[in-house]
Amino acid sequence: MSASIAYIPWTQKYRPRSLSEVIGNEEAKRKILEWIRSWDRGIPEKRALFIYGPPGIGKTVTVEALANDLNMELIESDASSYRTEEAVRRLAGRASQFGSIFGRKKLILFDELDGITGSADAGGLREITEVIKTTRVPIILIANDAFEPRFASLRNLCLLIEFKKPSKVEVARHLAKICAREGIDAEEAALKFIAERSGGDVRSAINDLQALAQGKSKLTYEDVSWLASRDRKEEIFNVLRMILYARDASAAKAAINMADVDLDMLLEWIYENIPYHIKNPHELAAAMDALSKADIYRGRIKETQDWSLIRYVIDLMTAGVASSWSRKSSGWVPFKFPERIKMASTSKEERDLLSEIGRRIGRKCHLSSSRAIKEVLPYLRIIFQNNPKMGKGIARWLDLNDEMIAYISGKE
Amino acid sequence: MSYEMWTEKYRPKTLDEIVDQEEIVSRLKSFVKAKNVPHCIFAGPPGTGKTTAALCLAHDLYGENYREYIMELNASDERGINVVRETVKTFARTKPMGEVTFKLLILDEADNMTDDAQQALRRTMERYTETARFILIANYSGKIIEPIQSRCAPFRFTYLPREAIIKRIKYICERENVEILDDGIEAILEISEGDLRRTVNILQTAASVGKPIDAEVVYSVVGRANPHDVREMMLSALNGDFISARNKLRELTQKYGLSGIDIIKQIHSEIFRLNIPDRWKVKLADIAGEIDYRLIQGASDEIQLSALLAKLVEAGYEIKKGL
Repeated sequence: MSASIAYIPWTQKYRPRSLSEVIGNEEAKRKILEWIRSWDRGIPEKRALFIYGPPGIGKTVTVEALANDLNMELIESDASSYRTEEAVRRLAGRASQFGSIFGRKKLILFDELDGITGSADAGGLREITEVIKTTRVPIILIANDAFEPRFASLRNLCLLIEFKKPSKVEVARHLAKICAREGIDAEEAALKFIAERSGGDVRSAINDLQALAQGKSKLTYEDVSWLASRDRKEEIFNVLRMILYARDASAAKAAINMADVDLDMLLEWIYENIPYHIKNPHELAAAMDALSKADIYRGRIKETQDWSLIRYVIDLMTAGVASSWSRKSSGWVPFKFPERIKMASTSKEERDLLSEIGRRIGRKCHLSSSRAIKEVLPYLRIIFQNNPKMGKGIARWLDLNDEMIAYISGKE
Repeated sequence: MSYEMWTEKYRPKTLDEIVDQEEIVSRLKSFVKAKNVPHCIFAGPPGTGKTTAALCLAHDLYGENYREYIMELNASDERGINVVRETVKTFARTKPMGEVTFKLLILDEADNMTDDAQQALRRTMERYTETARFILIANYSGKIIEPIQSRCAPFRFTYLPREAIIKRIKYICERENVEILDDGIEAILEISEGDLRRTVNILQTAASVGKPIDAEVVYSVVGRANPHDVREMMLSALNGDFISARNKLRELTQKYGLSGIDIIKQIHSEIFRLNIPDRWKVKLADIAGEIDYRLIQGASDEIQLSALLAKLVEAGYEIKKGL
């Protein structure tokens, strides 16, 4: 696999093309299909469908897959477009009255209705209501919450369809399919863990999966389990991206607030990932310099116990790092888990063992533990390689136990 | 056949066995004769016989069972004020049985003690002078607080002369039935820089290869003992590979137990051996100094050293551009 993989979000790459590929919500899908088919027999009582439910569970995808399955022309409007009265009329006014020239049936979708804002999209909701009253083609509305007061009159004209979060098992099964397509050998426990953590949000589960697994051939529970300790508002990957690729200094600083993550931990993440994103030597040096200064302020906090200094730690680790480089993405670079944290957690035992070995050598050789580790242990390792019998003999004389001997001789 | 570390096997047991440092030895012998020892500071570089001299003094003073009369503490392991308050006091306040009326407390790596602990030690030294004498061992006597220095007889240990080390190497090889060639001896001398402990450790490791020791055996053994040395890390950075330089840094701290201060010291001495323009050497020394200062102030080793590595990457890039 090449080093830089063009970044295609897996949510895009594995977007269902057909209703049967959409996870869960079988009942809702059946109702939608029934309603759309009823249009074949004439205009139904409810000319519009209002799909609602939490984010990331496949509402939009369902409508797109439906249009695709039934070979309908989908006319879409989402929050990215203006939805003033005028704009709605332009988009849906004519379309709702006439079929396509080429005989393909039409389907009008107003997505992300929650995003319709009072001022900018003034009159938009009222116009949608008007369009629905007279439409001759099916209209589908989507929002997270259908029961907002401003949707009241709209709601009365619509058939309400609730989308529910898919179960953990359903999400995990979907992730497994993606892994199979990507050639990733993923442990079931790992996928269940990601699914569980996403709380039914399939989109975020897939994003997590991509961040954790892309480019790997294996995904183990260990790879993902570190996510456990952090229950955050935004995934740390997003925060990192927001800092490293910040629009400006304030945006980089603001990213901190998105993270429900310990600052020390975040600093470790930034530190680990800087060199994978910032390649230019000058920029790399500047970014590391900013981070090392954040570290100095961290030390000053420890020394003075004055936590108000934390603001400088934040400035330097976010705005300081972001402003030291051009922030041009060179393609998809997966974020890496901080090696130092991994080492700290996995090697605590190793370090304890090492210092005990040092103590025992030191006792015999009249040295401190740390000097014994530095001055004697390296030679002892070589003696073990050259002459295991001699190595063992010396180790016994030093009162080292079997575990220590195994460690030194490299047979762990 | 029994195995042990040669540094211990060939460590002199009595003052008579110490062949060099004549002046020091003769002063110590006079203490033995008088059966009185003042508080002492043994200062000098590593591997010059400070600990050995203290142990030999104890042996000659108390006889074969000298261990019962001395306490050996290593300040690096057991520093801190509590050790002085508890362990040292408990040991120091009781009078020993026998001809010699005091015990001997050998405090190794005393320059690693905190100032607070040294202050406490000073009072203990005064209070229990009747029953205990202290030998403080340090690389730099300057790091021992003035009030303690003024209460101690100073002993300055220097690097052993070349001939003395050669003699020692040959003596050990003869006893161990190990063949060593002249260029092997030269190589060991060059690497160990007058540090006898290092000399003997290298010698024993080279002997474990099982063939006559020549320069090649010595260099290969030493090279393997420090496989990812600081220089290699610096060269990676200068060549623009920050990530692999950082990995080497991690290995140095993790596997070889080097502290940030150890590493910055080595970086500093390597800077002037690098094949780069002098102007850059000075620049890098300045940067190293700043990082060194930060480490002393308690900043995080790895992040600070990584910042230094990033500067090396930048320097390497500039140098290549011919700036």
